[in-house]
Amino acid sequence: MIAPTPAISAADRPPPLPALPGFEHVRRNWNARLSAYAARILPGEYYVTRGGEAVSTTLGSCVAACIRDRVRGIGGMNHFMLPASAGDPDDCRAAGLGAATRYGNHAMEHLINEIMRNGGRRENLEVKIFGGGRIMEQLTDVGARNIAFVRDYLSAEGFSAAAEDVGDVYPRMVVYFPASGVAKVKRLRSLHHNLIAGQEASYAGSIAAGPVGGDVELF
Amino acid sequence: MTGGRVPAQAAPAAGDLVRDVGSLVTLPDVYLRISRLIDDPHSSAADIARAIGQDPAFTLRLLQVANSALYHFPSEVGTVAKAVSIIGTAQIRHLALSMSVAKCFAALPNDLVSMANFWRHSLLCALVARHLAGEARRCDPDAMFTAGLLHDIGELVIFNRMPQQAREALARVIDSGDELPVYEAERQVMSFDHAAVGGELARHWRLPALLEECIACHHDIAAATLHPREAAIVHIANSLALMAELDTLDPESVTPITPLAWLQAGLEPDCSEPAVRAAQAAVAGIEQLFSPSQ
Repeated sequence: MIAPTPAISAADRPPPLPALPGFEHVRRNWNARLSAYAARILPGEYYVTRGGEAVSTTLGSCVAACIRDRVRGIGGMNHFMLPASAGDPDDCRAAGLGAATRYGNHAMEHLINEIMRNGGRRENLEVKIFGGGRIMEQLTDVGARNIAFVRDYLSAEGFSAAAEDVGDVYPRMVVYFPASGVAKVKRLRSLHHNLIAGQEASYAGSIAAGPVGGDVELF
Repeated sequence: MTGGRVPAQAAPAAGDLVRDVGSLVTLPDVYLRISRLIDDPHSSAADIARAIGQDPAFTLRLLQVANSALYHFPSEVGTVAKAVSIIGTAQIRHLALSMSVAKCFAALPNDLVSMANFWRHSLLCALVARHLAGEARRCDPDAMFTAGLLHDIGELVIFNRMPQQAREALARVIDSGDELPVYEAERQVMSFDHAAVGGELARHWRLPALLEECIACHHDIAAATLHPREAAIVHIANSLALMAELDTLDPESVTPITPLAWLQAGLEPDCSEPAVRAAQAAVAGIEQLFSPSQ
């Protein structure tokens, strides 16, 4: 049997802080080992918080940007991938990928705008990036394309990643604490590959089916 | 339906699953022949070598394994008779079983885990268990290798027979932030886990008691009564195999090793790193030897 983890009993557990407007739908669970609530986001979602709670997600070839105002402790996480599109799939900078990068731009801007709307300041922003693993044998490395996009976005916007754990062949569980900036990353065993890949495939299907021209409404 | 319990007719027991697959997945004749001879007090090593020789494909693979880095014998093993005499008759039985495992796995296809990934974890666990057997006293490395290869076979049975429940269990693991162990999630969803199913299958196949107990008790080693040390070694080997796969030495990244396991195995935690490194170094070389495409 497993040694019991020291846990705060249900009675000692603090109630969760109210979620910021617009994020009430995100499921939050008490994590005994971290002694904190963790909001769990799925592909295509994002979450911003002002409290001491964590934001967590599971990444295969998707990427997550963890961004916070390091002075005020306001921040959050997104979770996205670029939709598949025509043109050279290995280079998101190639012409013809406008729709794909537009989707990525939205995912980044939604997160940053929401942080600023809640009191964050652009000059205080600290960014960490995760994911983009190559968890399935495929012809195109979808993860690498997502990583390349985030890197390009950050440099174009004048940010640099304070920390990153990207690429390689593992899916990842990421838990991020916007108040402290601490991000914990755990590689997940291959037993979970298909489940995570399946989740991402249905997300990829949903964004591919969406409108590609004009303004793409996300989330 | 009370307390969220699943109605009885929707909840088959571990034994029912095994009855279903029993006719689907069978052990090969050559293993059964060797087993019968070993259990027969009147048979000799020569009889066993003759039984093996009747299967030319198996003979070829056996000699490849005997000449591989797994045994590092100083001179070439050119005949089955020599292989049987230097590897040992009891060990040959385990080896024959190990060489059949991939075929059994292939008979249990499923959509949840790729066979290549499942096979790799099994092989890493086998290599770590074999390494740890060398560190522990009076422990048969060939038996532990086989135990490691087979330890999760119940998982494949569940994935093949109860795909929806298996998916639900894995989803719970992910939902918990990977805090909930897989066997715990399985117990929640279907009231038994892959270790119990694997143990039932081992019993159905009449495998040696050592293997049955290693498979059935690798997540509950206190329940092992006949071979507690071997069960503890497989428990440790499972976690170290995950470290090898994820290329980490951080115990927090994998299924926790219960402190009782080290005690029960008679090993120290500081043997973890060499075991992980040895398995990582050896896995590529022997993957082909034990795979069904050979």
